[in-house]
Amino acid sequence: MTLKWLLAICSLLLLMAFGTAHAASAPPGVTGEIVGQGGQRFPIAVSPLKNLGNNTAESARLSTGIADAMVHDLELSGWFKVLDRSAYMENAQTSGITLGTFDFKDWATIGAEGLVKGGFSVQGDEVAVELRLFDVYQNKERIGKRYTGRVRDYRRIAHKFVDEIINQFTGVPGVFNTRIAYVSNSGGRFKEIFVSHLDGSEKFQVTDNHTINLSPAWSPDGRSVLYSSFKDRNQTLFLFELYSGKEIKFTPRGGGRYLSGKFSPDGQTIVATMELGGNTNLYLLDRSGNVIRQLTKNPGIEVSPAWSPDGKQIVFVSDRSGSPQLYILDLASGNSRRLTYSGSYNTSPEWSPKGDRIVYTGRVANRFAIFTISVDGGEPRKLTAESFDSEDPTWSPDGRFIAFASNRAGKYHLYVMQAGGDNQRRLTGSGGDDTKPHWSPRLD
Amino acid sequence: MKIRIRVAWHVCGLMVFCSLAACAPSATNKPGATPAPRSDSDASTTDSRTGEGQRGGTKESETGSSSLKQMQEGKSSATPASSPMKDVFYEFDRYDLSADARATLRANADWLKSNPSARVEIEGHCDERGTNEYNLALGAKRAQAAREFLTTLGIPADRLSTISYGEEIPVCREQTEDCWKKNRRARFVILQGRSTS
Repeated sequence: MTLKWLLAICSLLLLMAFGTAHAASAPPGVTGEIVGQGGQRFPIAVSPLKNLGNNTAESARLSTGIADAMVHDLELSGWFKVLDRSAYMENAQTSGITLGTFDFKDWATIGAEGLVKGGFSVQGDEVAVELRLFDVYQNKERIGKRYTGRVRDYRRIAHKFVDEIINQFTGVPGVFNTRIAYVSNSGGRFKEIFVSHLDGSEKFQVTDNHTINLSPAWSPDGRSVLYSSFKDRNQTLFLFELYSGKEIKFTPRGGGRYLSGKFSPDGQTIVATMELGGNTNLYLLDRSGNVIRQLTKNPGIEVSPAWSPDGKQIVFVSDRSGSPQLYILDLASGNSRRLTYSGSYNTSPEWSPKGDRIVYTGRVANRFAIFTISVDGGEPRKLTAESFDSEDPTWSPDGRFIAFASNRAGKYHLYVMQAGGDNQRRLTGSGGDDTKPHWSPRLD
Repeated sequence: MKIRIRVAWHVCGLMVFCSLAACAPSATNKPGATPAPRSDSDASTTDSRTGEGQRGGTKESETGSSSLKQMQEGKSSATPASSPMKDVFYEFDRYDLSADARATLRANADWLKSNPSARVEIEGHCDERGTNEYNLALGAKRAQAAREFLTTLGIPADRLSTISYGEEIPVCREQTEDCWKKNRRARFVILQGRSTS
């Protein structure tokens, strides 16, 4: 079984490497289909970290905290089976963390094929962490990294190393050093914007205006969040810079209202939906909110635009056929074509980073489910069950995962799954409804 | 078997080499990457409760308060039976006016005609199903449909403004058709000039 899985991973690697070099010849969506199918996951052990410095109140917490953060990410990816810590035989604080200073047999015995070990030392507010990935069968070190950072950002170090581990196995770094922007009512009646890491850490409240704030969207540099708000009574867009706290308001002309906006991949322009006189159309804006040009002119509903990764096309929702359906607008020609024909209610599209598929919310059997469809059309793939609602999908920056909101546990929470629909796991657990996730680009 | 595993790891190693060659690893976790907390002044650049006050001369009445303001004050935005302007209701994902809706709008128009200084904001609302953005657009359509019908009945357009709250301010929060029906509505907020006679 193990051998089969190793070979599966590595044949996947070849496939992905091939796909990267010759993107046009790679069949769309294949990687998402192979990975994780059948439930065979790579068995890996993540040892608590060894304290290399002075014993402080924090050291015990860091020892398991960094390991726990890595375990969370590895499990979330769906590609690893992390062996239970209670089965580990050696003492993490007394055994070595470099090659030759510990016994691989202690790990082979419990079935580990990969092993993560590391150490840390705290100096004031700073922590230095070294982490290594070992091949238990080969008795070899595969990755060794050293990180320094603030103690309270220790989880980010764990995310970065897991991204390296995933790079080792798949040829593409993981996406755990990213954040999700989302809307939460925190159990109350107002909807505010939040950002946090995938594991819920470093949660930051962007808005606190006690009104309705919606549709958060990252700038491609990961430094700003664009969102719509009723805080000045009439709904419009605001661009909030996370690091400086600066914010600018977009004032629509002619009594219009901005409902939502999305940055172009180059970060220079924004496509926004503006409602004017009851009609909603798409507009191209500059970064300050000035209209460059109107993109659609229909006497109906045109909403939820999202860019193709090359910035040349925009997928959006229009009711011009009588029900909400997805359309693709070609910016150069101004022509649009209908993409979805099955189902009577298809909304909230997002274009995959690879460019080949579009994920969206569709209505089926009086419920909402997540679908993907090829940009060339064809039969959509349903990724979530219709025994509950799943909405607002967003791609990870590598296109291998999709985050979304679902009410399968009662209230709406954020979930993540592999792009083929496998390994659906809950991300948030606040007391309220968490909705409208938007996945950040990779962060520094 | 061991040999084949070795081969597999070698392939992995090759991949690592490729990816390392493509981008030099950054071994430092940059400090200062946590967002600065917002100052109080940032968080409240505008008092969002002043909207109607800014128009001046607002007389609070049964429907003299926007749904947003009602929500902020923790009150229901349901239109009381005593209100002279009645809600208009819509089918799922529709904004056309039923016979009932037209009858309600005619009665609302009569009241507006006998209160010629009254200005009204028409709020479009939706049930919770569907996406927030689409529902905001749909609510705008609903409010506009009501506004246009009132103008065909002779109400000057400049007395009628519109706003959409989409699915954001429901009057009923259960997941039943009865409840959804109540939420798919146009609500009329009397802003000023209500006859005192």
